[in-house]
Amino acid sequence: MIALIARKDLLERGRDGRLYWAGSVVLVLLFIALAVGYGRQSEVRAEQKAAQALDYKDWLSQDQRHPHDAAHQGMHAFKPEAALAIVDPGITPYIGGTLWLQAHRQSEVKFRPAQDATGLQRFGDLSVGWIMQVLGPLLVIVLGFNAFAAERENGILRQTLSLGVSPLQLLWGKALALAASLAALLTPAALAAAVVVTLGADAGEGLDALQRFAALALGYALYLAIFIFLALGVSAASSTSRVALTVLLALWIGNAVIAPRVMSELSRHWHPSPTKLEFSKALSAGLKSEADRAWQMAFGTTERWGRDVPLNKWGYALQLDDQTGYAVYDRLYGQLWDTYERQQALQAWSGLVLPVLAVRAFSMGMAGTDFVHHRDFTTAAETHRRTIQDIMSRDLVANADPLGNQHFAYQAGPELWSQVKPFDYHPPAAIWALRRSLMSLSILGGSLLLTLAFAYAAVVRQRAL
Amino acid sequence: MLRAIGLTKTFGAQTALDRLDLDIRPGEIYCLLGANGAGKTTTINLFLNFIAPSAGEVQIDGIDVTRDPVATKQHVAYIPEQVMLYGVLSGLENLDYFSSLALGKRLPRERLLQLMDEVSLDAGAAHKRVSAYSKGMRQKIWIAVALAKQAKAYLLDEPTSGLDPQAASEFSSLLKRASEGGVAVLTTTHDLFHAKQTATRIGIMKKGRLVESLDSAQIGQTDLQALYLQHMRD
Ligand SMILES: Nc1ncnc2c1ncn2[C@@H]1O[C@H](COP(=O)(O)OP(=O)(O)OP(=O)(O)O)[C@@H](O)[C@H]1O
Ligand SMILES: [Mg+2]
Repeated sequence: MIALIARKDLLERGRDGRLYWAGSVVLVLLFIALAVGYGRQSEVRAEQKAAQALDYKDWLSQDQRHPHDAAHQGMHAFKPEAALAIVDPGITPYIGGTLWLQAHRQSEVKFRPAQDATGLQRFGDLSVGWIMQVLGPLLVIVLGFNAFAAERENGILRQTLSLGVSPLQLLWGKALALAASLAALLTPAALAAAVVVTLGADAGEGLDALQRFAALALGYALYLAIFIFLALGVSAASSTSRVALTVLLALWIGNAVIAPRVMSELSRHWHPSPTKLEFSKALSAGLKSEADRAWQMAFGTTERWGRDVPLNKWGYALQLDDQTGYAVYDRLYGQLWDTYERQQALQAWSGLVLPVLAVRAFSMGMAGTDFVHHRDFTTAAETHRRTIQDIMSRDLVANADPLGNQHFAYQAGPELWSQVKPFDYHPPAAIWALRRSLMSLSILGGSLLLTLAFAYAAVVRQRAL
Repeated sequence: MLRAIGLTKTFGAQTALDRLDLDIRPGEIYCLLGANGAGKTTTINLFLNFIAPSAGEVQIDGIDVTRDPVATKQHVAYIPEQVMLYGVLSGLENLDYFSSLALGKRLPRERLLQLMDEVSLDAGAAHKRVSAYSKGMRQKIWIAVALAKQAKAYLLDEPTSGLDPQAASEFSSLLKRASEGGVAVLTTTHDLFHAKQTATRIGIMKKGRLVESLDSAQIGQTDLQALYLQHMRD
C-alpha cells in the first residue's frame, strides 16, 4: 500500500514542473560548487606542498650558526587541506593555515569564532555543504509543502481516506516518494562528489576520504529526512497549502538564517572564551610565575639572563626556560580549546530542534574541517616545535656550555639541522573522526525521531475536510 | 448495515443534525431529501467519520465508526458531490491508483478497462489526462472505483448532480443492480424524480431533523412532490 502511494506520487511529480526547476537549480549549484571546490583545492594543496618543502630546505641549508639562532629561525607548519574540504570547507576560511614553529613561543591558533558563520553570509563561498544545509531543506519544502494540505483543500484527501486507507500509510507513502525524488536528484551529485574527493585525496588516503564521504552523506540523508517529515507534518496540520508554505518557510528561515547566529552568541555567553588580550595576559603571567620558580631553584634569582646565570649554564637555562613553558602552554591553550569545543558542543546540541546546527557540526567533523581536527594539527605542530627546541638546547648543553665564556662562539652545522625531520602531518583517520562526531550524529537521529513523532501526531489528527 | 442512533451534530450554536435515527439494511436504497443546509452532507460525513458526532452513534456493519474509522471504511464506497482526481494522471491511471488503495493491490489492466466500460467511458477517455475531463467524467471514474471496491454499503452525496440525464439513469440502474446484490445504499439528492425512481425508502430532512420517512412504493411521484413542498413550507 505504501509503495502504491509512493508510486502514484512519483508519477504525479514526474509530470509536475516543480521537481525539474527546483531540482535543477540545486543540482547546477552543487556541480558548480564541486568544480570550484576542486579547482581551488588542487591549487591550495600544490602551494602547501611546495611551501613545506621549500621551508625545510631553508632549514637544512642554514650556515654554521649558534643553534639558538637556528631555533629562532625555526620552521613553518603548513596545514594540509583536508580532502573533503571540497565538500565542506568548515572553519578553513576562518583560520590560518600556517604556524611558525619558533623559539620560546607556541604559535597562536587564529580562530575566529567561526564555525558559527553559516547562514546567508557564507553565500560568497558557495560549497556543497552550504547548499545541502541551506538549500536542501528548501528543496524538500518546495516539493512537500502541499502533500496533504492541497489534497485536503481540493477534496482528494477525503476521497482517499474514504477508501479505507490509514493516514499513516499515506504519510509513509508520501515520505517514501519524497525520499525517492531527492535520491534520484542527489545521487548523481553524490557520486560525482565521491569521485572528485577520492581523486583529490593524497596518495594512500583515497579510501579514508571515501569513508569520510560515506558517513557525511549519511548525515545529510538524516538531515533531509528530518525535513521530509517536518514538511509532511506541517502540511497535514495546516488548513491550506498556503498556510503550510508560510509556516515551513518561517521554520526554514529560523533554522538556516537565525539559528546559527543566535546559537553562536548564546554559546559564547554560556561558555565565555577570553578575549585575545585577556588570554595573552594570563599566558604571560603563567609563564612568568612558572619560570620564576624554576629560575629561583636553579640560579637563586628570578632575573632572566642576568649576571647570576654563568655563560657555561646558558644552554641549560634555555632548556629550563622552554620546558617550564610547555606545561603552561598545555594548560592554558588546553583550557581555551576546551572552551571552544564546549561552545561547539552546545551549538550541536541545539541541533535537536535546529537541525542545521547538528548537521553542520557533523559535516565538518567528517570533512575534517572542524575545530577538533584543527586542534589535532596544532598539537602536532607544537610537538614538532618542541622537538626542534629540545634538539637545539640539548646540543647547546652538550657542546656550547662546556666552552664556558666562549659559549657564544659555538656554531653547529648541517649535521645538527638534519637531526630535525621535516614536519609531516597526516590528519586522523575516518574512524577517529566518526567517533568524535558520534554526538552530532546522534543529535541528528534524535531530531529525526522528534519530527517523526510530530508528523505522526499531525497526520493522525488531521482533518479530512 | 448503515445505522445512526440519536445522531446529533452541532457547529457552535447551530444544530446541523438533530437526533437522527436511521437503519438501512442490505438491499435497501435510502434516499435523503431536503433543502440546502438541511443536514444531508453532514449525515454522510458523520458516517465516514470525517467529522465527530456531538452526540449519538454511527455504525457500519455493527461497528462504531469512531472506534475503528479505517476498518469501517473498508466496507463502504463513498461518492462525493464533487469528485476530484489527479489532473496530471489519465483516467485509467487514476482508476488504477484509487482502486489499488481500496483493494490493497493493483487490478489487471483488462479489469480496469472493463470497469471503464461499465461506467461507459471509452478507451479514448481512459488515456486522456483528467484535467481535460468534464465533471461527469470524473464522477464516472469514481463510480468505477466504487464498483472495483465491491463494497457492502454505498454513501452517496448527490451522486447524479453532474450527470446528464442518460448517465443519471444509467447510474440509477447501476445502483439498483448493486442493491439487488445486497448492498445498502444511503444517498442524498435534490431530484425528487430520481429519488422516486431509485429509492426503496425516502426520508425528508428539514433543519437537521428527519421529518418524514416512507416506503417509496407507498407514494406516487406527484404525492411525493406535494408532501415535500408542504414540509418545506411549514
Ligand atoms: N464545517 C462546518 N462548520 C459550520 N457549519 C457547518 C459546517 N458544515 C456544515 N455546516 C452547517 O450545517 C448545516 C447542514 O449543512 P449540510 O452541508 O449538511 O447541508 P446539506 O443538506 O448537505 O445542504 P446542500 O443541499 O446545500 O448540500 C448548514 O447549516 C451548514 O451551514
Ligand atoms: Mg450537501
